[in-house]
Amino acid sequence: MTSLFLWWQGYVTVRLRGPGLEHLLNKMTDLGIALTNVERLTGDVVIAKLMVRDFRRLRPLVRGSQISVTILDKHGAPFFLRKFKLRGFLVLGCLLSLLFVMYLSNFIWFIEVSGTYTLSNEAVKEAIEDLQLRAGIVRSALQPRTIEVELLKRFPDLAWVQVSIKGVKVEIILTEREGIELEQAGPGHVYAAMDGVITELLVLKGTPQVRDGSTVRKGELLISGQYYDQRGIQQFGAAQGVVKARVWYEGVGEAALARWEPRKTGRSHRQYLISIGPLRIPLGRSYPEGTHLRDSKEWSLSLGRALVPIHWSKVDYHEVEYIKVEVPRETAERNAYELAWESLQSQGVQAGQILEERTTVDFIPDADGIRVMVQVEVLEEIGQFMAY
Amino acid sequence: MRSAVNQTLKRKFAQTFDLPSAILLDQATIHLMGDAEAKVVNHKGLVQYTNTCIKARSAQGLIEISGADLEIVSFSSSEIKISGMIRQVMLK
Repeated sequence: MTSLFLWWQGYVTVRLRGPGLEHLLNKMTDLGIALTNVERLTGDVVIAKLMVRDFRRLRPLVRGSQISVTILDKHGAPFFLRKFKLRGFLVLGCLLSLLFVMYLSNFIWFIEVSGTYTLSNEAVKEAIEDLQLRAGIVRSALQPRTIEVELLKRFPDLAWVQVSIKGVKVEIILTEREGIELEQAGPGHVYAAMDGVITELLVLKGTPQVRDGSTVRKGELLISGQYYDQRGIQQFGAAQGVVKARVWYEGVGEAALARWEPRKTGRSHRQYLISIGPLRIPLGRSYPEGTHLRDSKEWSLSLGRALVPIHWSKVDYHEVEYIKVEVPRETAERNAYELAWESLQSQGVQAGQILEERTTVDFIPDADGIRVMVQVEVLEEIGQFMAY
Repeated sequence: MRSAVNQTLKRKFAQTFDLPSAILLDQATIHLMGDAEAKVVNHKGLVQYTNTCIKARSAQGLIEISGADLEIVSFSSSEIKISGMIRQVMLK
């Protein structure tokens, strides 16, 4: 007997209580009643599952005996369907919701655009709306191929567009063209984007103006766009090349050698707060955060799983005084060093690319603090193309 | 005496014609699947059922299955399927 068959036929969980249960079980099987999940709870109690039609045949067997039969649970399709028979409106409601869901699934409700990098999502969405693709339109009215062609026409930077309908969602996948700006640019030179010492110079097009080991300043010409071709004629083109240099970055961090810590004086005040939706009713006065530490606990009213927008809070205000605590020099130095590194990272320096690091520690006069300056040397591409 | 002769004849008959003796002799069959499941086919009725011991009658005598957390998964006139930690199966 498979469980699906059992469920379809309907079955009951019964409790048999009394003496000589084995004898009753044998009599039941002799009548062809099949039992499943026969569980012995105590010496005189057995719980078993049997089919509904077999249950009717069980009654005559126990009649006149000391065994009592109790139905603990009813399962299966007949009981399930009976529930629906008694609740006509529930069935009607289910059918209507199903029909409503089916009706709603004929429309597009979500539009997802992906694959934009240089193009703005808003611009694409505006174009899509212009093409009559918006949430709420009928799915059958949508022509993905037309939208694809139109988008390609409107955005020349797009190399490929795919519009696909997935249920109630339209997915638009875009791929942008990867243009080589340098190739399309007019004549120009390559200048130094920052100060540094050249370590590698590779000229692809143009005339080099510096050599390996040269110290250059920001804005200095590195590769000129003027060059002589194979016939000895001077040409003006777009200089191209790789210029790597050792460059320096500097980050400064400061930290105090003392800090003010709050210490509880022992005086405290309690306040209760009742919140009903956006309305807050305080019971008792509030104290400023500068002189008091706040410790609160909140309870929410809930009805089963549903949360009611009524909250009850208990707020304890502990009065504090601030005392001065000396910070060890090592700790202050470490804090300042970390801040200096944060400043370096904000300039685009990564810890992995450091060639050399130099740290200077100074005391801040009259300010009871410490200043750490971190100078790092990194290898970077400094060439920057600029048109004439 | 008569039934013993009958049994011997049936056994001889089954051996001679290479027939399944379990059917001819009305023998009970016990299937054991590891130590977690047992199936008694062709039993003649349940005698005792507790969590530690299940006894069933058969043409060959009393079949006793003992162990822990024993439970009858299904019970019909021809078959008892038992699950639990089976320690011992005896024919008495």
